Amino acid sequence: MQLSSFTWKLLKILDQVDQVRCGVMDESALERYFDDSIANDSAFILGEELGLQSPAPLLHDSTPSVQNSSFLSTKSERSSELGDELDLSFLPDDLSTQEEPSQDDTGNATQQPASVSGLRTIVSPFCPMTPMTPMTPMTPVTERSGIIPQLQNIVSTVNLGCPLDLKFIALQARNAEYNPKRFAAVIMRIREPRTTALIFSSGKMVCTGAKSEEQSRLAARKYARVVQKLGFPARFLDFKIQNMVASCDVCFPIRLEGLVLTHQQFSSYEPELFPGLIYRMVKPRIVLLIFVSGKVVLTGAKERAEIYEAFENIYPILKGFRKQ
Amino acid sequence: MFRSGLTCPGCGSSNIVDDDLYSQAQLVCTDCGSVVSEGTLADDPVGGSGVQRLKALCQILRVNAEIEDQSEKYYKEAYQHESFINVTLQKKEILAGCCLLVSCRMRNWPITMGTISCLLDADFNVVGATYKEMMKILNIKAPIVNVTDVMEAHSQEYKMSSYPEELAENSKDLTRRAVALVELAADSWIVTGRKPIPIMMAAVYLGWQSLKPNQHRLRMSLEKFCQLAQVKKCRAAMTRIAEMKEMLCKLGKELPWLRGAVTPDNVIPQVDDILQNRHALLRRAMRAHEDTLQAECQTSSADPPTEQTAPSQITEHVDQTPSASSVEQCEPNPERAEPPADKEANLHTAPEQSDAQESPDPAPNWGKRVLFAPPCVVHPKKRRAAQPELQDVNGDEEISDSEIDSYLRTPREVRDFALTQKMLSDEGKS
Repeated sequence: MQLSSFTWKLLKILDQVDQVRCGVMDESALERYFDDSIANDSAFILGEELGLQSPAPLLHDSTPSVQNSSFLSTKSERSSELGDELDLSFLPDDLSTQEEPSQDDTGNATQQPASVSGLRTIVSPFCPMTPMTPMTPMTPVTERSGIIPQLQNIVSTVNLGCPLDLKFIALQARNAEYNPKRFAAVIMRIREPRTTALIFSSGKMVCTGAKSEEQSRLAARKYARVVQKLGFPARFLDFKIQNMVASCDVCFPIRLEGLVLTHQQFSSYEPELFPGLIYRMVKPRIVLLIFVSGKVVLTGAKERAEIYEAFENIYPILKGFRKQ
Repeated sequence: MFRSGLTCPGCGSSNIVDDDLYSQAQLVCTDCGSVVSEGTLADDPVGGSGVQRLKALCQILRVNAEIEDQSEKYYKEAYQHESFINVTLQKKEILAGCCLLVSCRMRNWPITMGTISCLLDADFNVVGATYKEMMKILNIKAPIVNVTDVMEAHSQEYKMSSYPEELAENSKDLTRRAVALVELAADSWIVTGRKPIPIMMAAVYLGWQSLKPNQHRLRMSLEKFCQLAQVKKCRAAMTRIAEMKEMLCKLGKELPWLRGAVTPDNVIPQVDDILQNRHALLRRAMRAHEDTLQAECQTSSADPPTEQTAPSQITEHVDQTPSASSVEQCEPNPERAEPPADKEANLHTAPEQSDAQESPDPAPNWGKRVLFAPPCVVHPKKRRAAQPELQDVNGDEEISDSEIDSYLRTPREVRDFALTQKMLSDEGKS
C-alpha cells in the first residue's frame, strides 16, 4: 500500500517511542486512517496545518480514563530545530508526565495537561531508542466527529516590563482611548490582526480578539512596538495565552432537558436565565455552552488541544441525544 | 414595597413602604410621611424581616410546611454568608424568594423565576443573578423546571371561569388542554432553551380558543385575553403563538377528512382533532416529509450522493419511522455550492473556515430540510460577514515601521488634539 512520506515519518517515530500511554493503533488501522485522510484533501491540509493534530484522536481513545492530551502540540510551539526529517512536535516534552495516575470518571482531575513545546530529543523513560512494535489500542478507537471547532477569540497577556504614562500614550497614539474615570487602562486597537489591547500603567497588557495563537502573539508584538515607538523601553516578557474560545456546529438539535438529567453533575440548564446548557467538563477543564440548535461554544482553554479534546469528549454524548 | 400588617402611628394608614435611603432601611408611611421605624441592617435578628417576607411568600404560593421549612433553612444559611450579609433589604427579600424557589424545585413543586420576580416586584435579572450566587454559596443542585409541571400552577392564574359561557372556561379543562399543547410544542422543539412563561401563556391562550372555537374567542387578541384573565401579557408569547400555530398546521394538514389548506388562521378549530390523533398525524407528517425529500433527491442532478456524516436531518423527531434511514443515503446537498470534485462533504467546518471554497453561499441550513427543527435554526440570525482570515501567521513576522507609524499621531495632530481637549475642558468648567 502506498503511504505518503508523512505517514512514513509518523510510523518511524512511533517505532522509537515506547509505551506511549495513549493507545497507539496497530499499523494497518493507522494506514487506513491516513489513506482516508489523504484522499480527503482538505482534511489532510488541515491536519498538516494543525501540526499533526488530526491524527491525534486516533492515537488516543476518547474515554476519559485513558485520555491524555498532553502530547498534542500547538502550532506556535512546533519545533523546527530537529530538521525536516523528523517533526516530533506533537510529542510532549517530558514523557514521564504521562504516567500520572489516571483520573477517575467522576472527574476529580486537577492535573492540567503538561505544557508542550518542541521536542529536543526523544526521551522515553523506559527504553530509549529501542525499536518497538506498535501496541494494539487498549480500547477500541471511537469514531472521529469530523468536526473541528473554530477558534473565535484568544486572550493573551504580556508584560512590557516598564511603567507607562497612559495620558501620554493616549495623546500620542491615534488608535488609543483613555478614560481614567471609567477604566484605568488605555484601550488600543490595531487593524491587522484585528484586535484590542488593554494597556495598564504597570506595563502589563492584555490582548484580545485574535483568531489564533500566532495572531495573538503578532498583535501583542505590534502593540509593544507602538509603545516602544512612543519612547518607552518596552520589552516582550512572559507572553501567555490565558483563554481560548472556539465554536462549532454539530448540525442536529439537542434535547437539553435530557442532557441535564443524565449529566447532572456537570450540567447547569436554566432556560429562564440563559437558553444554553452550561457544561463544565472536568478533563480537560473546559466550559461548554451547548444550545438546542446544535451549536457549541467551548471556552476556558489555555491550549488548542484542550478544545479539540473537549469537543471529541462531548460529541458522542450529544449524538446520544439526537434521536430523542 | 408594601409592608403588610403594619399601621402608621401617625395617621393609622397601612400604606407602609420600605425606603432604602442611604442604605439604611426605613419604614415610611406613604400617606403622612412619618417614619414608622428606622431599623439599621445590623439590628435585624438573624433572618428577621427576611424570614417574615419568606413566610408571606409561602402563604401566597400556598406551599406545604416541608417546603417552607427547607427554604427557611436555606435562607438562614445563605443570609450568614459574606455576599449577603450586608446587602439592601430588597436584595435580602430576593434572596428569600430564591431560597423558596430552590426548595420548591427540590420538592417537586416547581415555580418559575418569573413568578418570584413578579411577587417580589423585583427586576428579573437581579433575581436571576441572586439565584445563581445563592446556588453557588449553598452548593446545591436543583432539578430543572419541567414546563408541563409548572403549567398547572400557571394556568390557575388565569381567571376565566366567571364569564358568560362564550368566554368562560374552568381551570381544570384549560390546564389539561394547555398541557397537551405544551407537550406537542416540546416535541417540535419550540420549548427547549426558551423561557417557560411565554410558552405557557401561548398554550393557555390557544387552548382556551380551541376549547370552544366560536367567533368570539377566535377574534379575541392575546392582549384582550390577558386583560380578561387578569394576567400580565408578555410580548414573547406572540412569537410562541405563531410558532405553535405553524406546528399545528403541519400536523393538521395530515387530517384525512379536511378539504382545503390548513393555515394559521383556520387551524384552531382543528386543534381538538389534532390533539386526539397526534401520534398518527405525526407519523403521517413524517412520512409525507420523507416522500417529498426523496422526490427532491431523485430530481436533483447536481452532486452525486456523497457520504453524509450527518444523517441527522430527519432524525430529530420523537416518533422515528424506520424508513428514515433509507432517505439518508440519498440525501444530496442542494444548498451547497460545492464542485463535485471537492470531497469536503465529510467535514462540517464553519463556512468561514472552508478555505477550499470561496463560495458566498452560507452553510446548508439543515433546519429547513427537516419537518421540525428549533426555530433558531430555521430562522437563523444574520451574521456579519466574516473578515478575511489571516493565513499562515507564525507570530514572529517582521513588523513594518510604516504600519506602526500609521498608528501614531503627527506632532501637528498632537498639538491640535491637546488644544481641543484644553478648550473643551475649559468650556466645561466655565
